[in-house]
Amino acid sequence: MPTLTVMDPVTRIEGHLKVEVSIEAVAGQDQVVDARCTGTLFRGFETILEGREPTDAPILTQRICGVCPVSHGMASVKALEDAAGFQVSTNARVLRNLVLGANFLQSHILHFYLLAMVDFVAGPQAPPWAPAWDVDLRPDPRLDELVNHMVLSLEARRRAHEMGAIFGGRVPSPHAFHAGGFTAVPIPERVRDFRNQLDYVTTFIEHVYLPDVEAVAAVYDDFRQVGGGHRNLLAFGVFDLDAQGTNRLFTAGRVTDGSTSVQSVDPSDITERVLSSWYDDATDNLNPASGDTSPVFPKANGYSWLKAPRHLDAPFEAGPLARMWVNGDYREGISVIDRHLARAYEALKVAHAMAEWLHELDDTAPVHSNYGDPWSGTGVGLTEAPRGALGHWVSIANRQIANYQVITPTCWNASPDDGQGFAGPLEQALIGTPILDRDRPVEALRVIHSFDPCLSCAVHVMQASGRPKIVRLGTAR
Amino acid sequence: MNHVDRRSFLKYCISSATVLGLEGSVVGKLEAALADGGRDLPTVIWLACSNCTGCTVSLANLAGDSGPSDVGDLLLNAIALEYHPNLMGAAGELAVSALNSAANGDYVLVVEGGVPTAFGGNTCMLWTDVTGHDVTAMEAVAWLAPGAAAVLSVGSCASFGGIPKGNPNPTGIVSVESFTGLPVINIPGCPTHPDWIVWTVAQLITGTPIELDAYRRPRHFFANRIHETCPYKNAPEATAFGQHGRCLEELGCRGEHVRGDCHLRKWNSGTSFCMEVGSICLGCTQPGFPDAYSPFYQEDD
Repeated sequence: MPTLTVMDPVTRIEGHLKVEVSIEAVAGQDQVVDARCTGTLFRGFETILEGREPTDAPILTQRICGVCPVSHGMASVKALEDAAGFQVSTNARVLRNLVLGANFLQSHILHFYLLAMVDFVAGPQAPPWAPAWDVDLRPDPRLDELVNHMVLSLEARRRAHEMGAIFGGRVPSPHAFHAGGFTAVPIPERVRDFRNQLDYVTTFIEHVYLPDVEAVAAVYDDFRQVGGGHRNLLAFGVFDLDAQGTNRLFTAGRVTDGSTSVQSVDPSDITERVLSSWYDDATDNLNPASGDTSPVFPKANGYSWLKAPRHLDAPFEAGPLARMWVNGDYREGISVIDRHLARAYEALKVAHAMAEWLHELDDTAPVHSNYGDPWSGTGVGLTEAPRGALGHWVSIANRQIANYQVITPTCWNASPDDGQGFAGPLEQALIGTPILDRDRPVEALRVIHSFDPCLSCAVHVMQASGRPKIVRLGTAR
Repeated sequence: MNHVDRRSFLKYCISSATVLGLEGSVVGKLEAALADGGRDLPTVIWLACSNCTGCTVSLANLAGDSGPSDVGDLLLNAIALEYHPNLMGAAGELAVSALNSAANGDYVLVVEGGVPTAFGGNTCMLWTDVTGHDVTAMEAVAWLAPGAAAVLSVGSCASFGGIPKGNPNPTGIVSVESFTGLPVINIPGCPTHPDWIVWTVAQLITGTPIELDAYRRPRHFFANRIHETCPYKNAPEATAFGQHGRCLEELGCRGEHVRGDCHLRKWNSGTSFCMEVGSICLGCTQPGFPDAYSPFYQEDD
């Protein structure tokens, strides 16, 4: 008999998430046979942006998410500058990359030690870590130091934020990201301080974080077979290495079914499906640049307030594994463990690149110039959050924001069924997960946490004019 | 682990009190609390309402020499954070049962995020109760605030509504104070500063009265206008962004009207602050944020 286990709240993620899993014995093994994810917070950011000055957008959109504000700042300034046909200076490009890189490092470290680790290792026996599900925690000498390393990780991630604040002023939410460039001047003392912090964090990543993730990978090796999902991966790319963004540390691309053949990503090939979402079916399959959000509730077959972004009609998983795979840096597999390993290896790759970028700064060259302040225009800002591909689409009319659309990584990952036969990547990844204890499905948590979901990001995109309801991201299969 | 035990934390409270110029009687109370060292750690319940988690992330940036050395020390040795959805080990029913137990005792309630009231509150649902009901932020705050020893609104969203309340306020956000009608303590900022949270909790633990301003912010942090003591107050006016060490008033800096001590305390362990990197003060600690200051990059008349 299938049983339904409700996990609400799903904790140790960013934002508000409810997951229901149906568990049934298949060939003598209990496993997840159906999954529904529910984002439970909606704030209506796009509505708040409409009618404001375009330059307010990088400030306001950073508050979509307190864990990845810098990525929203980056996407927003890129969208505005795209609308103006503006290219930033080398200093501005590098300073933006450095602050974004610092936030990648803090986010990856935070994710492993504070959000994901206690799915594998018993945390400190005190709140907020206790109580917790004591299921399938495997005593192993290779994991003995992990709880102590959690304490070290607090300092490392804090220092990563201090690094970002050297040029950003403060993190979270540095508004040094400004259309036209950057506000901070890279004076030598700042460059020196940044390098000192970067050295510390890099050492932590190399000697603590990476070995710890590898230890979890070794002890939980069977989770290389769990949580694969669609095996489609997509990256928008991030960390421009030239003014045009032609070369990037992580290039854009996509693969299907775990292929090593990388295909291109064209934003005009992205559409949002709404057949399973509470929006008018007439608005199905539109590109976000001409997106329309007309709520219809209730609606036959509707079960989600999230739309389903698709690239050439296919669902894609976004995140560090997608970036590392597309760029040929990591292709061991697609699973719970592979997501953690790719995230850790990516942190080291970014940290090493940041050390090189510091050499490009020139405190005698400009960091900012007028971006053109266009009267009208449209722009796209494609970048990456620590947890995956992020896009902002802006439309400017009468020097005001006429329309603003955001597609976040968790929109891709937690998207609903598209009505064309594809469930969302996270739901698909949950299906088939073996479960030891139906009331305490820690294995499902491991799958969810491997995506590093950011529900505030995902669910903010709804318009407010609809009637409220649970955002259901599952499908009755 | 690097322990700062309860005793050390109270010593930190005492030194803070001294540094901040609190009266001797306050220090006396702290010393009495220190002598009474057997008490359990105070329970804290943290609700995430219409928020972005930025204030929790900011709290994680806590660093101190004399007090809790970091957020780990704070959580392990100074408070019992029985419920926090982003940090707690438990999920689902176990998390909700931990919350129910905590709510049966004495607790401090921290609210991050405002309370959305449109659509019956259903734009923000925090957990599923035993009957299968989705508990909204409205229901959760209405349940937990009246019985709390104190209610802290952490961040500008909980304090005043913040950016989600920005025009046209799509989800009908109200502040915790407006929603509950209770004498809450507002610790605004977008995000708030970790020191502001920890100091306030320290006062509560020791039963020290906290002097509040008209917006129920602790006067210790929000008594003065930022511009008055801004290091760039007398610097030449910046005429464009990217000019080092200038006053940013003509570019839209709101420091003349905004209260806080972020420019003296600085952010991220004293690393920097907005104007130090040539960014304007947005007014993020003020009740009118963001609409009173938007468009941001425009000189205030």
